[in-house]
Amino acid sequence: MRTSDRIVLSPQEIRTRRIFSALGRSFLLAVTAVAALAVLIIIFFIARDAVPFFREYNLRDFLFTNAWYPSHQPAQFGAKAIFVGSLIVTLTSVIIAVPVGILAAVCLSDMVSFNIRQLLKPVIELLAAIPSVVWGFFALVVMAPFLQDVLGVESGANALNASVILAIMALPTIVSVSEDALQAAGRELREGSYALGATRAETLIKVVLPAAMSGIFSAALLGIMRAVGETMVVWMASGNATQIPRPFYNLLQPVRTLTATIAGDMGEADQMTGSAHYHVLFAMGLSLLLFSFLCNMAGEWIVRRQRKRLRGM
Amino acid sequence: MHLRMRKIVDRCFSISAYAASTAMTLLVIFILGPIFMRGIGAYVFQETVENRRMMLDQFGRGDSEALTKEWQTVQKNRQPIYAALQAFEKELEGYPAQKRRALRKPFQEVRQALTDLLGPEPGKPLPALTRKIYGQTRWDRAQLKVKDVLFEVTWDYSGERGIKVLKPRAPLFAGTALAPVFTQVETQLAALMQPRWRFYPQFLTDRSIDAHFFGGIGAEVLGTIYLALGAMLIAVPLGVIAAIYFQEYAHDGWIVGFLRTCVNTLAGVPSIVFGLFGLAFFINTLSVSPGKSVIAGALTLSLLVLPTIIRASEEAIASVPRTYKEAALSLGAGQWRTILTVILPAALPGILTGIVISMGRAAGETAPIIFTAAVSVGPMVMPAEIFSQATPALSWNLYNLCTEHEAVEQIRHVQYGMAATLVMIVLALNVTAIFLRARVARKLKG
Repeated sequence: MRTSDRIVLSPQEIRTRRIFSALGRSFLLAVTAVAALAVLIIIFFIARDAVPFFREYNLRDFLFTNAWYPSHQPAQFGAKAIFVGSLIVTLTSVIIAVPVGILAAVCLSDMVSFNIRQLLKPVIELLAAIPSVVWGFFALVVMAPFLQDVLGVESGANALNASVILAIMALPTIVSVSEDALQAAGRELREGSYALGATRAETLIKVVLPAAMSGIFSAALLGIMRAVGETMVVWMASGNATQIPRPFYNLLQPVRTLTATIAGDMGEADQMTGSAHYHVLFAMGLSLLLFSFLCNMAGEWIVRRQRKRLRGM
Repeated sequence: MHLRMRKIVDRCFSISAYAASTAMTLLVIFILGPIFMRGIGAYVFQETVENRRMMLDQFGRGDSEALTKEWQTVQKNRQPIYAALQAFEKELEGYPAQKRRALRKPFQEVRQALTDLLGPEPGKPLPALTRKIYGQTRWDRAQLKVKDVLFEVTWDYSGERGIKVLKPRAPLFAGTALAPVFTQVETQLAALMQPRWRFYPQFLTDRSIDAHFFGGIGAEVLGTIYLALGAMLIAVPLGVIAAIYFQEYAHDGWIVGFLRTCVNTLAGVPSIVFGLFGLAFFINTLSVSPGKSVIAGALTLSLLVLPTIIRASEEAIASVPRTYKEAALSLGAGQWRTILTVILPAALPGILTGIVISMGRAAGETAPIIFTAAVSVGPMVMPAEIFSQATPALSWNLYNLCTEHEAVEQIRHVQYGMAATLVMIVLALNVTAIFLRARVARKLKG
C-alpha cells in the first residue's frame, strides 16, 4: 500500500512529512525574499557606484553649481541646471495632467452612463500601456515641427513639448486611480448631499472630492513619479541643453533632465566604467531612486492615515 | 449663493468635466491616428521598378524574366534623359569660360538629383553602398525627389526668419540640351518609375539592408520577442511563487510587512535606474556576459515587471473563493496539494492576465535595455547567441532611427512602421489581457 492511501501514519512518516513541509515552506520564503529584496540589491549597487563620485567631488557643488563639463580636464560636475530641468518638466506636466485627470475622472465616475464607463475604462487602460518611446517619437516627429513651423517657436524640442507629452502619458494612470477613489467614496455620501439640495457641482466639489482626497493624492503622486522617472519622452522632446531657462518659467527653451542625461551620457558605458563621468551618472540615478522612495513613503503614509480615519468613523 | 449663480457654476463644472474627457479622447485619436495611418505605409505602399529590382537582387523575390522585360522598357524611357545629360556635358565644354563656370555647379546638382531619383547612370561603376545602387524605391519618395531635380532650394533672409524658397532650375538651362529633361521628368515620372501597389507583409520579418534604407524590421521584432519572453521566463516563476507565499503562507508579521514594502518600492523605481543597475550588477559585477547581451537585458526587464506579476497573481489567488480551499482541505488534501491542484488552476486566468500585461510592458520599455541589451545596427540574433550577443529591439531602434540615423527624413516610413508595429504588439497583448479578465469576471459571477 502507498502511504497516501493510509489514514494513520507512523510517527516516522509524520516526521518526514513535517520536514518536507518545512523545507517547502522555507523554499517559498527564500524565493519570495529574492524577489522582494531585489530592490535592496538595486539600491546597494546604485549607491556603490555613486559613492566614488561623492568621495572625489563636493555634494554641494554637484547640487548647487552650474558648470557641467564632464569631459573637460579637470572635469566639472555642477548639475544644478539638470536638477532644475527635471523639476520644471515634472511640475509643468503635473500642473497640466492633474486637473484634467481629476475632471476626466469625475466625468467618468459621476456623469456618464454605466455602459459608456464600461467601454472607456479598458480604453484608458490600453492608453497607459502605450510604450513611452512611441510618445517620444510623436513628440519629436510631429509635435516639434508643429511648434517650430506653425507656432514659430525657435526650437521645437523644448520643455513645453516634453511636459505636454508627459502629461498626456500620465493622464491614464491619474484618471483610473482617481476614478477608483471617487467610486469608493460611496453612494450614500452623494445621495445625502443631493437630498440636502446641493447641485451636482457642489456635491462633487464639497462632498465627494474631499472624501476621495487620499486616493486622488495617490493618483497625483503616481503621476509625479511617472513624470520624474520617464526617460524616452524627455530625452527626445526636451532639447537636452544644459541650461536653466531664463526666465525660469520660459517653457519654450530647451532643458535637460536627470533621466535624459543618464541615458544620453552612458552611451559609451563600456569605455567609461570607473571614470568620474560614469560615477556621476550613478549619483543621479541614486537621486532619482531616493525621490521615488520618498514618493512611495508619502503614498503609504496617506493610505495608512486614510485607513485609520475610516476605522475611526 | 443665488440660485441662478449656483446653476451656472454647476453647468460650468459639468462642461469642463466633459471637455476634459473629450480632450483626452481627441488627443489620443490625433496622436495614435497618424502613427497608425502612416505606419501602414510601411506595409502597403506604391513601389517603383527600383523596389522590384532591389527585392529580386537582395531577397530573390519576384519574377526575374518579367522584371528584365520591364527594366528594358524603363531604360528605353529613361534613355532621352541620359542622352541629354551627355549631350549637355559636351556642350558645356564648348561654352565661354564664364558661362561654363556659372553652369557647371547647377548641372552637377541636377545630375546628382537625377542619380538619387533613378539610380546610377548606365555604364557607370556600381557604388559600394547598397542604398546608392537603386533609385527611389517608393513612389512617394520619388515624387519628393523630383522636386530636387526641378527646383533649387534657396533661403530668403529678408524677414526676421529665413524662409525656404523653391527656385525652378529650368530657366537657367533654357535653350540648352538639358532643357527637355525637366519637362520629361515632371510629366513622365510614372513611365520612368513604373509605380505599382505592393503589399509587403514581410516588412515584419525581413532583415534590414544598409541601415534600414531597404528591407524590413525582422531583427528588431526578433530582439523584442527574445527580451519580452526572456524577462517573462525569469520573472513569472519568481513572481507567482512570491504571490503564493504572500497569500497562502505569510502571517502578518514585521518580516512580511518589510517584504511587501520592498515589493512596493520596487514598483516605483524609475526605469532608467533599472538600466543603470543592470549595467552595474549583471554586466560589471556578475559578468553574465562580456558586454551587452540579450540575457542581461532580459534579467533587467524581469526585475522591472516583477511587482506587476506579484500583484496580479496575489489578486488572482485572493479572489479564488474560500470554499474551494476549504473543500480541498476537508477532503484530506495537504496544503501543497490544495495550492497546486485547486487554487492555482482557479487563479490561472487572473495570473495569465498579469503575465500578458507585463509582457507588453517588457516589450515596450526602452530605458532598461539601453545599457544592457540594445544595439543600433545588428543582424538577427540566433537563439544560441543570446548569452553573448546584443540585439536590436523595436523600442530602442525606433529612438535610434529617428534621432541618430544619418538620413532621418528618408526613412520616415520605416520609423512609422516600427512605431505602429510596436504599438500593435503591445495593444494586442493588452486586449488579450482584457478578454481574459472578462472571462474571469463571468466565471466568478457563475
